[in-house]
Amino acid sequence: MVSSAGSLLAMLQEPAPELKLHALASLNSLVHAFWHEISTSVSSIESLYEDEEFDQRQLAALVASKVFFYLGELNDALSYALGAGALFDVSDDSDYSQTLLAKALDEYAAIQSRAAGEDKTMDPRLEAIVERMLDKCILDGKYQQAMGMAVECRRLDKLEGAISQCDNLHGALSYCINLSHQYVSHREYRLEILQCLVKIYQTSPNPDYLSICQCLMFLDEPETVASILDKLISGSNVCTIFLLYQTIDDALLAYQTAFDLAENENQAFLLNVRNHLDALSSARSDADSRATNAATEPSGDVQMGDDVNMPNGTALTVDPVKVAHADRLTKIKNILSGETSIQLTLQFLYSHNRSDLLILKTIKQAVEMRNSVCHSATICSNAIMHAGTTVDTFLRENLEWLGRATNWSKFSATAGLGVIHRGHLQQGRALMAPYLPQNGAVGSASPYSEGGALYALGLIHANHGEGIKEFLRESLRNTSSEVVQHGACLGLGLAALGTADEEICEDIKNVLYTDSAVAGEAAGIGMGLLMVGTASEKATEMLAYAHDTQHEKIIRGLSLGIALTVYGREEEADTLIEQMTRDQDPILRYGGMYALALAYRGTANNKAIHQLLHFAVSDVSDDVRRTAVLALGFVLYNEPEQTPRIVSLLSESYNPHVRYGAALAVGISCAGTGLSEAISLLEPLTSDVVDFVRQGALIAMAMVMIQINESYDSRVGAFRRKLEKIILDKHEDTMSKMGAILASGILDAGGRNVTIKLKSKSKHDRLTAVIGLAVFTQFWYWYPLTYFISLAFSPTALIGLNSDLKVPKFEFLSNAKPSLFDYPKPTTQQTATASVKVPTAILSTYAKAKSRAKKDAESKAKEKAEVAPPPSEDASAASTSMQLWLLSQVDAAAAEKKGPEPEPQFQLLTNPARVIPTQEKFIKFLEDSRYEPVKTAPSGFVLLRDLKPTEAEELVLTDAPSTAAGTNAPAPSASEQGSGAMAVDEEPQPPPAFEYTS
Amino acid sequence: MDSGLEEATQKLAWLSFACARDDLESGVALLAELKVLLTRLHSLPPLEKTPNAVEELKIARTIYENAVILSLKIKDDEAFGRNLCQLKEFYINTWLVFARSPYEYQFLGLNLLRLLPENRISEFHTELEHLPLEALNHPCIKYAVELEQSFMEGTYKQLANFCQAVPNETYVYLMDRIAESVRDEIVDCSVEAYDYLPVSVAKKMLMFTSYREFFEYISEEQPEWEIKNCSIHFHMAKPKSHMDLSSFKLIKQALSYAQELEQIV
Repeated sequence: MVSSAGSLLAMLQEPAPELKLHALASLNSLVHAFWHEISTSVSSIESLYEDEEFDQRQLAALVASKVFFYLGELNDALSYALGAGALFDVSDDSDYSQTLLAKALDEYAAIQSRAAGEDKTMDPRLEAIVERMLDKCILDGKYQQAMGMAVECRRLDKLEGAISQCDNLHGALSYCINLSHQYVSHREYRLEILQCLVKIYQTSPNPDYLSICQCLMFLDEPETVASILDKLISGSNVCTIFLLYQTIDDALLAYQTAFDLAENENQAFLLNVRNHLDALSSARSDADSRATNAATEPSGDVQMGDDVNMPNGTALTVDPVKVAHADRLTKIKNILSGETSIQLTLQFLYSHNRSDLLILKTIKQAVEMRNSVCHSATICSNAIMHAGTTVDTFLRENLEWLGRATNWSKFSATAGLGVIHRGHLQQGRALMAPYLPQNGAVGSASPYSEGGALYALGLIHANHGEGIKEFLRESLRNTSSEVVQHGACLGLGLAALGTADEEICEDIKNVLYTDSAVAGEAAGIGMGLLMVGTASEKATEMLAYAHDTQHEKIIRGLSLGIALTVYGREEEADTLIEQMTRDQDPILRYGGMYALALAYRGTANNKAIHQLLHFAVSDVSDDVRRTAVLALGFVLYNEPEQTPRIVSLLSESYNPHVRYGAALAVGISCAGTGLSEAISLLEPLTSDVVDFVRQGALIAMAMVMIQINESYDSRVGAFRRKLEKIILDKHEDTMSKMGAILASGILDAGGRNVTIKLKSKSKHDRLTAVIGLAVFTQFWYWYPLTYFISLAFSPTALIGLNSDLKVPKFEFLSNAKPSLFDYPKPTTQQTATASVKVPTAILSTYAKAKSRAKKDAESKAKEKAEVAPPPSEDASAASTSMQLWLLSQVDAAAAEKKGPEPEPQFQLLTNPARVIPTQEKFIKFLEDSRYEPVKTAPSGFVLLRDLKPTEAEELVLTDAPSTAAGTNAPAPSASEQGSGAMAVDEEPQPPPAFEYTS
Repeated sequence: MDSGLEEATQKLAWLSFACARDDLESGVALLAELKVLLTRLHSLPPLEKTPNAVEELKIARTIYENAVILSLKIKDDEAFGRNLCQLKEFYINTWLVFARSPYEYQFLGLNLLRLLPENRISEFHTELEHLPLEALNHPCIKYAVELEQSFMEGTYKQLANFCQAVPNETYVYLMDRIAESVRDEIVDCSVEAYDYLPVSVAKKMLMFTSYREFFEYISEEQPEWEIKNCSIHFHMAKPKSHMDLSSFKLIKQALSYAQELEQIV
């Protein structure tokens, strides 16, 4: 073997071309060992490559490329590798070719993704290499790799090729969808990919309608979605009994699709789908009737059945197929309108409500009478705790105390009712009736409660305001009180969220132009809510008015409103963002931060993050800096693991506003995850020296820890005790006390059955939730906006439905210790107070201690008495079912049954069940169950396929409130509910309530 | 393959014949053909072993030895360097396979000497380290080493003496080059050391035998020298002193950057 490349290098200098060639060829095979020697004379190899007359230039290029590769000069290496042409072997497994291929791909992708204006000249050789590479991947069956590369390189043609050749078509497509959401940061390109995917989906013989519709929703093509749904529910045109079974399956699929669409809460889109569905079905029935008319006359024995409109009335029997179709159509429409899901959710939240009134009682007692901030915070906390459960026991029990709320507190208190009754669509208006402005009879109630009631209506109907918006408009036009206008504007904005309704917009604009500070602020936000994500022309109009007006409040409202209009528009919003962030007025720059946050929500777009970080450290206004940091939370919520890392430095900033922003950013993006890093970051902030930082940290911590219990993360327990301590401490600042009160509300929000979720199960952003949190963060300036957090709540339930959209009896498995995901123990409050008492007992005399001990025993007995009832409903159901399960699994059971102490490793849950996000990965469906899920989703609404359709079904929840409009509150199956709560809720009129002391 | 070997052997005979006769032209032509022939022999470095590897290597070695001498004779420096480089490869890689060439140290010594006039001292020492210990006693190698030592010490007088006593006739060709580089070295030193020198002293110092040669040298190689009053003035040729880097300024800047960085967040 040779010991040096020196001789070969010398030979390279020989005049004879044969010798040069020989030297090059030998060098090529030796370069891996002697690159260091060759590198000193690489220039001579380069000159060989550049020598036009030399006939083996490509070989020279290859050798040079390898040398540069070993030197780490990848750019040079790549350009010479391109020069080597066919000699550069794509299929080689060596480090060299692997590295250079990666480099080539990067380069290609970078050039391809340049914007239109920039230089886009592509080296054809580079293109050739990339294509060779892609083809090779497809040939080798590395489809995912090929798809990834094709997406990265913007080669949709190759993507199509890869997918169509892949043996697992559905897997490939869903992989691509994931890819496009996670890694494609350019919106337009993402839409292109989705379009391409939909095209492939539609050509496939057995399409996956769930995914197609998700894609179509992104592309905003309601017509296509409508036609797919229509096709599914109507089945094939020639309908026979034989096909009936098939159509039930299709219908289930259609329902599931509709539920998935509704979950994304894109109201405008869903409305369009519904309208198109109507149009389609009416067109079809016209066509059908004509067809049957034509068909029956000549032959007569058409099994399509008869048309009702037929004049001669040969057979008036109604076609069963058509009836089924109509029935399904209404069901689909109900699902799409959100009614079905809201109703089911309401029933679930009501029946599973586990809110702990003791906590509220403690807060109420600890809060000072005259401190109105804490007072209204407590009311707000109660509202959040019972959000969507319709349980207002606490308010009823404390009417007198409630009556202390005056002026704007009264506004908030009334609005809180809206949060509690959120989603109570049928009776919302009846519930709020006592407070609503009465036509004609003026002065019956104070404008504050009237305004609050309108706001509450908006909260109840948030994003589903079809029924209520006319009434709200009416109220807005009929009033001249700015407080009522304030409430009405917010209410309208919420109810007509994202519909861009021209008429409503005009009404709100009229209020805006009255230039009243209070009403104008709400009008600005209201307009924004109305125009969410439309990027309409109205934004410039709003910006112009923001420059005109003198009122800071109006400017603030407007700038938030403008930010809302660009929701999710990504690059499209850049001009507007630029305009706002360059403005002289800090309030508009502040709006610009929100615009950045919302336009790039959940994209983790590097440019946006960069910009926000820049503002966070360089802007002169504290408000802007705080918001910039806070906005990071919105941009990063799709990658919650990243946020603590990114803001960790900012959380140590000298500027308390930046620290506050960092706390909330973590709270927003890690909401509901219980992420350990997030908690570690927030922990020191909860004992910050500045009061409002503590406030922010407490709220953020509650958002992160929502639904996490102590056995999952022990710090939750510590945090609960800390909250209690802050609330009970007389010397604590009002600000942090308020934070603690709100935090305890959020921690147990919605009867402990909801979490804050900014993304739907299909990984899309939940518009309402993001908007809700964004407006919620405004509570810094305006406390009533705290209620917007209720929009972000999403029930953590798995609700199985049969083909009639009823809830059948159905069981499934949670493959983990029950205690990990259990509700927090309801008695924490009492044990905590007891433990406080212990030290005083030690300090006092023996006799006193004795009496104390006696008392303790008593209180413990009481505790026990209180503990006893709750397990009756769920636990007993669970335990009986558990026993059944154990019996079926004889051998395992024997061991388990004996010792009551060791906790079981699994748990059987019955439909509908609470399944919290961290629990989702443990959910399994039983194989021998009667029902089979259409889609194996661990939470949300799941349609169940009945495998024994002939047997009678056993239903869990009755469907009471849907029919009886005004009289019945949602009544769960009576057997399971505590009768007391039942009585409260069957009482229709809400608190004849607290008489406000005017 | 055998035919290739035979052909090479024949041509080699012609080559040595041409060299002996000092028929340089036909020698160069033959050599070029031979080198191409060699590339077809498979066992040559860097390739694998074949049955007649030994024969092939031997013949290749002899060819390159001849090539070195030939390039010396035609005064082609580049070819000389190349050929030595390749020859060295054969020496290093073959001594385990068969006996050393009788001329090995002579050529290795040449290789060392080649580096001296070009002032590639570090390479010189690297090469030296590669040689086995006993090689140092060989007159050719010893000569090169001593030459280098006096070169480094600056005892140019001694150097001049060495130049007269070459151990092998092939070395004569290199002596002119060495003398030239010694002169260059002296020139560099004098320019640094003196502002001016009397012409007679300078002539002696630079080892010129006649004034005419000396003045020719000055006009061709050193146009910046000035001759006034029978002495040579160097002030034009003095190298510019480097501007010293303002280290304090740099340190200050770096510190202020660090400070500002800290204040940002």
